[in-house]
Amino acid sequence: MNHEAGKAVAYSRRGPVAVVSITGEIDLATAAAIGREIVGYVGGEDPVVIDLTSVSFLDSAGVRLLDWIVGDMDDRGRGIRLVVGATGPARMTLQLCAFRDDLLATDLDKAAADLGG
Amino acid sequence: MDDRDVTQDLRVPWEEDPSELYEHAPCGYLTTTPDGTIVKVNETFLAWTGYTRAELVGVRRFRDLLTPGGQIYHESHYAPLLRMQNDVHEVAFDLVCADGRRLPALINSMLGRDPAGLPRLIRTMIFNATERRGYERELLNARRIAEDSERRVRVLQTIVAGLAAAATEAEVAEVLAGAPGPAFGATASSVWLTGADRGGLIEVSAADPGVTAGAAAEVARRGELEVISAPEKAEDRFGGLAEAMRDAGRTLAVLLPLATGPADDQTEVRGVLAFSFAEPRELSESELLVIRLLGQQGGQSLDRARLYDAARLREARVTFLAGTTREMDEENRLTARAKRLVERLVPEVAEWASVRLQVGGPPGLLAESGGPPPDPELIADQIARVTVSGEALWPAADATEVGTAVLPLTARGLVLGTLALRLEGARRTVAESGFLTELTSRAALALENARLYEQERAVARTLQRSLLSGSTPRDSRFVVETQYHAAAQGLEVGGDWFDAFMISPDKLAVVVGDVVGRGIDAAATMGQLRSAVRAVASADAGPAKVLRKLDRFVDRVITAKMATVAYCEINLATNVMTYACAGHLPPLLHEPASQARYLMGARSAPLGSRAGKRDRVEEKVKLASGSRLLLYTDGLVERRNRPIDQGLDTMAREWARRRDAPTAGLAAGFADLMVGTDHTDDVCLLCLTLGTDERLERSIGADPMQIALLRKEMKAWLITHQVDEESVQGVLLACSEAVANAIEHGYRDDPFGQVEIVATVSGEAVEVVVADRGVWRPARSDVSRGRGLQLIRQVMDHVSFDRSAGTVVTMRRTRKENA
Repeated sequence: MNHEAGKAVAYSRRGPVAVVSITGEIDLATAAAIGREIVGYVGGEDPVVIDLTSVSFLDSAGVRLLDWIVGDMDDRGRGIRLVVGATGPARMTLQLCAFRDDLLATDLDKAAADLGG
Repeated sequence: MDDRDVTQDLRVPWEEDPSELYEHAPCGYLTTTPDGTIVKVNETFLAWTGYTRAELVGVRRFRDLLTPGGQIYHESHYAPLLRMQNDVHEVAFDLVCADGRRLPALINSMLGRDPAGLPRLIRTMIFNATERRGYERELLNARRIAEDSERRVRVLQTIVAGLAAAATEAEVAEVLAGAPGPAFGATASSVWLTGADRGGLIEVSAADPGVTAGAAAEVARRGELEVISAPEKAEDRFGGLAEAMRDAGRTLAVLLPLATGPADDQTEVRGVLAFSFAEPRELSESELLVIRLLGQQGGQSLDRARLYDAARLREARVTFLAGTTREMDEENRLTARAKRLVERLVPEVAEWASVRLQVGGPPGLLAESGGPPPDPELIADQIARVTVSGEALWPAADATEVGTAVLPLTARGLVLGTLALRLEGARRTVAESGFLTELTSRAALALENARLYEQERAVARTLQRSLLSGSTPRDSRFVVETQYHAAAQGLEVGGDWFDAFMISPDKLAVVVGDVVGRGIDAAATMGQLRSAVRAVASADAGPAKVLRKLDRFVDRVITAKMATVAYCEINLATNVMTYACAGHLPPLLHEPASQARYLMGARSAPLGSRAGKRDRVEEKVKLASGSRLLLYTDGLVERRNRPIDQGLDTMAREWARRRDAPTAGLAAGFADLMVGTDHTDDVCLLCLTLGTDERLERSIGADPMQIALLRKEMKAWLITHQVDEESVQGVLLACSEAVANAIEHGYRDDPFGQVEIVATVSGEAVEVVVADRGVWRPARSDVSRGRGLQLIRQVMDHVSFDRSAGTVVTMRRTRKENA
């Protein structure tokens, strides 16, 4: 049940929007590897949607990673959305950490459309 | 006596005058000129014809003495022949005598010629052929009669052949109806047959309006041939017949009984053939003889056809009975059998049929078919009477409308219920009632067998339920869930069983087994074997020894031979399980952090096996907390349409998928998932969930990868304790953060440090204590660590830190259902 960061992260596009889908657990053990994987996709000019609906656990290490990505995108004036299920571990943690409502979405297509996809 | 030469003329004793010989010869002589003018005639001719010599000689020609027809023949044949051949022999002429009488004669003539070859005179000899002509006439008459009779014989032969070929009464009747026309020249004919029960005549063919059914019935009763030669002759004997004959313009009517032999006491009349004639006609003696013969032939043919018909009907009934029994046997259940019965009866035998049961349950309708049903009140009354008396009620035979028969379904001396049938009139015969009685007795036996079968099945089920209903042990360290799924279809109860019991305070035994066979015996054997397992299991025995003892047990209890058993003992203090399988499917184990797997070790032959491996072995396996073990019988995985390997693969996959499912209802839900509702075999399964103790104690290295494994175990443990999902997520998050804190900060400089985790669960709350021996650093030095601590505070209701020796975080969350 080891997480291979390479397998846990998938990349796709919705028009101009970059979509990064993360699967499995994001915790102290995996956050760094996942972060290295994602950086390549989120460093460009395009808006980004990070799909967390398949994430089965998210701890503060994961929150730290997401917080850093969101801050970086904001700084560069690029749009970003985090897609989480209506319930589930990822939404619970992000809500506990009081992520902004405008960042969270439940529908990937709608989130991509909001960002111009 | 003188010796004389007989070749010489005898000298007669009187003078023989040649002229005397000429005149009084025994034949007539005429001599004519070539033109036929008579020139000489003898006395004999004159005597025969009544002419005088003067009236003929020189006055008449020979041809003048002939009839007009004779004269033509004379011109066309006689005269030319004579001229050509010089003689003519034995020509028949009628001579017209002086008084106009005609004299049949045979004429021989010779033409005499002069030396120049010219015709000179004709000598004619006349024989009186009066008597000879009479013979000829008689001969011709006789020949005509013979020809008539031959023709009639041919017609009769055709009729007899037709009768022989006719296989049914209807065909015989058809041949008979067609006979009088060609055989006797009758204008029309009708046929009546006596009824199957010899009651009354049934009209088969009524083409002749000149005869009446009343007359036919009278003739059938008397058994005598009646020939009515004129309408008035029928007047005082057959009412209506005379009128019918007159109306149809008949001069002669014949009413022929179709009897098996000549009229006497032994003879039975099978029907009546009647025919009549429009032309005036007389019947000769020979014709009457033939007519009587026709009556006998017809009667015998009808008799034979009736026997054939009866044989065919018997055969059809035997086939029907056998078919009905077979069809009913194809079903096991009472209702299904009753349904088969009525569906077979309608419409072949009855227009409506219903089976009502009176015993073995509330009286009521079991099956019904056809329609319309009879009056309910009437039928209820009839059924009540039949149920009490056990005697069948038949509808009146002469009732014209459809009637209802109610027959008791009697088996082993017990009136099980009734079969009610709505029958057509033609069905209400003595033979038919015999057939229906036979059918009912067979059906009753089939229904009684089904009833007993259901009774036994119900008893077996009850027995099985009572044997399996003993409560499973309850302990905080494990949860046992069991499920017995009886086959949905009407098969007998199987010998599957499960059991779970405590051998000692720390030792749990779980077992699932399958006894060979079905029905009440299998259920009883299962009970014995189940008790035997409990009896032989002991604190120091172990599975292999238990199986060895069971082998000895089945040597005495033969019905338990070849039973299969999967037997496991779990030491709850050490979580070590020892197991053994005697011919049974392997237990399926799912541990929290790995794939589901079958325990393929410790296998040996079924109990009491002679050919199999009887060396009983056992194996040990250490079970992680939260492990789930599944014991089951083959009904769970065996399907006719797929190999068992595939069934096992599917089951392992599905079992793993349900690792997070609550234990309550786990067994039932899993059985439903695996076999659905329409399974044909009994299914028995036992789920054991381990590590359900209130405490979860773990010690992990300072490695972030360990946190994920801890979470898995803790998740299984929390689910086992039926902690709600939101609380599970919260506790897992808090625990992860606390452990991460310990690893990341407490053991920042100590990769070999250990983190101790102790979790406890009670009805009210979950408490987790995470302890490390690392060096505490102030929180404000790290923002993210502050976020982790904040998360812990948010998801747990109570959090405290003790930093006197390393860090001990104590967290408590109230369970949602108690919040």
